[in-house]
Amino acid sequence: MVAQPVQKVFPLTLKITNLPSSNSSRPWRIPVRIDCYLSHIKMAGLSFDNFQRNQYIASKGVAMPKATSTGTTIVGCKFNGGVVIAADTRATAGPIVADKNCEKLHKLSPKIWCAGAGTAADTEMVTQLIGSNLELHSLYTNREPRVIASLTLLKQHLFKYQGHIGAYLIVAGVDPTGAHLFSIHAHGSTDVGPYQTLGSGSLAAMSVMETQWKENMTKEECIKLCADAIEAGIWNDLGSGSNVDVCVMEVGKDAQLLRNYITPNIREQKAKSYKFKKGTTAILRESIYNLVDVEETEIPVPMEVDA
Amino acid sequence: MSNTIASEYGHTDTSVPIEHRFNPYSDNGGTILGIAGEDFAVLAGDTRHTSGYSINSRFQPKIMDLGDDLVMSANGFSADGDALIRSFQQQLTWYHFNNQNKKLRPSSAARLIQHLLYGHRFFPYYVHTIIAGLDEEGKGAIYSFDPVGSYEREQCRAGGAAASLIMPFLDNQVNFKNQYDPATGQARLKTYLKLDEVLNLVRDAFTSATERHIEVGDCLQIKIITKEGVREEFYPLKRD
Amino acid sequence: MEHDPFKWGRPDNATYGDYDYRISNAKNTEFPSMHTQQPIVTGTSVIAIKYKNGIVMAADNLGSYGSLARFSNIERLIPVGKDTVVGISGDISDLQYIERALDELEVENDYDGASHPFKANHIHEYLNKLLYQRRSKLNPLWNAVVVAGINSDNEPFLAHNDLLGVQFSSPTLATGFGAHLAIPLLRKVADKEEDVAHVTKEQAREAILQSMKVLFYRDARSSNRFSLVTIDKDTGISFEKDLKVENMSWKYAETIKGYGNLQKF
Repeated sequence: MVAQPVQKVFPLTLKITNLPSSNSSRPWRIPVRIDCYLSHIKMAGLSFDNFQRNQYIASKGVAMPKATSTGTTIVGCKFNGGVVIAADTRATAGPIVADKNCEKLHKLSPKIWCAGAGTAADTEMVTQLIGSNLELHSLYTNREPRVIASLTLLKQHLFKYQGHIGAYLIVAGVDPTGAHLFSIHAHGSTDVGPYQTLGSGSLAAMSVMETQWKENMTKEECIKLCADAIEAGIWNDLGSGSNVDVCVMEVGKDAQLLRNYITPNIREQKAKSYKFKKGTTAILRESIYNLVDVEETEIPVPMEVDA
Repeated sequence: MSNTIASEYGHTDTSVPIEHRFNPYSDNGGTILGIAGEDFAVLAGDTRHTSGYSINSRFQPKIMDLGDDLVMSANGFSADGDALIRSFQQQLTWYHFNNQNKKLRPSSAARLIQHLLYGHRFFPYYVHTIIAGLDEEGKGAIYSFDPVGSYEREQCRAGGAAASLIMPFLDNQVNFKNQYDPATGQARLKTYLKLDEVLNLVRDAFTSATERHIEVGDCLQIKIITKEGVREEFYPLKRD
Repeated sequence: MEHDPFKWGRPDNATYGDYDYRISNAKNTEFPSMHTQQPIVTGTSVIAIKYKNGIVMAADNLGSYGSLARFSNIERLIPVGKDTVVGISGDISDLQYIERALDELEVENDYDGASHPFKANHIHEYLNKLLYQRRSKLNPLWNAVVVAGINSDNEPFLAHNDLLGVQFSSPTLATGFGAHLAIPLLRKVADKEEDVAHVTKEQAREAILQSMKVLFYRDARSSNRFSLVTIDKDTGISFEKDLKVENMSWKYAETIKGYGNLQKF
């Protein structure tokens, strides 16, 4: 089926605030035309339209774009009356640090959180999708969402995509049945245990877990253990770095996100200032084009009411 | 995935099937940087040694003092780097033996290194090599080499893992590229930087590369060549 | 470092794409014979740490044939000279070749009985040359080697060497899986060279024992029987054989049921 361009005219209002006019909050109205191709958006699920084309151009020796991967250390550990998860905050694209302080702890529901390793976009999207479905399910059943339900939704979704969704997750939370901790691999397999580690720094973190973990820990001991395990990843695994994020989920309490719980990698002051003198960047050529005709329409502004 | 052979140093080629055999190369990360001044030269490098996502050593210095007020570093595949420096040192010993301990000039050292590298034209040393010293007039000299021996004398050069991050910074701060004099509107005139200014640039280059490249960090080694001789400084870098 | 010895020296899948099995399956009669190298019987990690007066090093006694635990009594810590021990992982037949080469070297060096004694740094350099020469002939010795001992300045010496001729030293060293699982633990004891002065023999030994336990927990090609050597610059080499991983804890395992859906509530 050939896609036909559908022309639509959308009314769009742009608020221009920095005009040298005295009445700076006056809205302007600019007509904008947007051409949309609507024929492909009817099918549900992910689009594989470009698969064959990509295979073909890859066979011609064109390199595929690299996804940002959170080459990561993530951990989780249970304690008496709850569960803790933690993550480092480095995101990499190959050997380059793409983000020095990214968030790898995702909320599935208020008391169920998830640490993600693997392809950044996949962990983000799969987590949002299952978060939404969990919310709908909870609304439908009028019950608090359960960790086991989020585990099942995630693993069934990931299994369906046979590992092509590169999300490696540690799922943890508290629900009416208690505190739970699981890990899920991209192909859909799941694991249970009192402690879990995943990501490129999982071995460094596991070495700490295997030597320091004990039964019946307190919340504080558990947070310390998780933070230590992440630090082992930060120092010893090149895919992990920067700060430690922690999320504590305790039975009968709201989940607590401790963003940047430890920041052991603050950059020292630079030796020199790199402020340039004004005019250092020369203007070699200047041309101004009128791209749109701005049509001014008076719109009555509602009377301002004091708050 | 397609059967591509890709490397930083070569083009991508799919017409030949890949041979499944022993790969004699690896990449040990790290980065080096040389800057020449009016009467000095510096050669700096981090001391992190890596394989994949692992840190093999946090302190494996790779800037070598060759004697004759010459320093050298060969960054990339460290086994080749070590072998190249060792064979240079052996050649230098023979040179001294045959020439009544005559001091080797940087320009001659550079030509020798070209021959050592080109001697392995079809099984190259997988390294980016930089040497630093003082020329006959006492001016700072930096020579940099590609893996098979093409070389050039330069004012400054970054090599290794974070070379592509540091080089544009050097172009701007050492050779004043893209900088104009606000008063005249003309390109900013080239001037020699003083040693302390250069050391500041080197330290900032390495702290910045450490921030954005995972294979750079742990410790910074700087060798400084002046008419007084060669001295060395170390500065800590982030270890994550 | 890649911890699976079967993948050592091969192009990395992540960089070069998956291996195309049509190549190994092809009938290549018109090609000259290419002997693809791979390790056969393998030994796993060697781990070592410096302390203020010397070095502690350990390696288990298993010889694996793929996933088969084939030999259970392989000694991979090889004493050379008076105060050096070489720990070898990777291919066992290449290990035995290196053992023989070192023995020959020792005999050759000492046949007049008045020679300069071998020190750890000399042995390391010899092995580095040997391994680099073999890799340059594209016929590598498939090993990663840790040389531990006392150097010519009478200081503790610890250095690593592998099948590519790559060489480095550090206060803590480990080959194979140990680089991932043991190094984080050992670096907690001695991260920088300056830390070594504050590490006692007991602390170093304890860290090594703990690491051997974690390796047995998590490295599927390891065993619970190992040898441990302590090289002290004052008291020399003390060899401990037939050690066993102790104080393991598998108790939590009984609380685990199924893989997610069989949790007790």
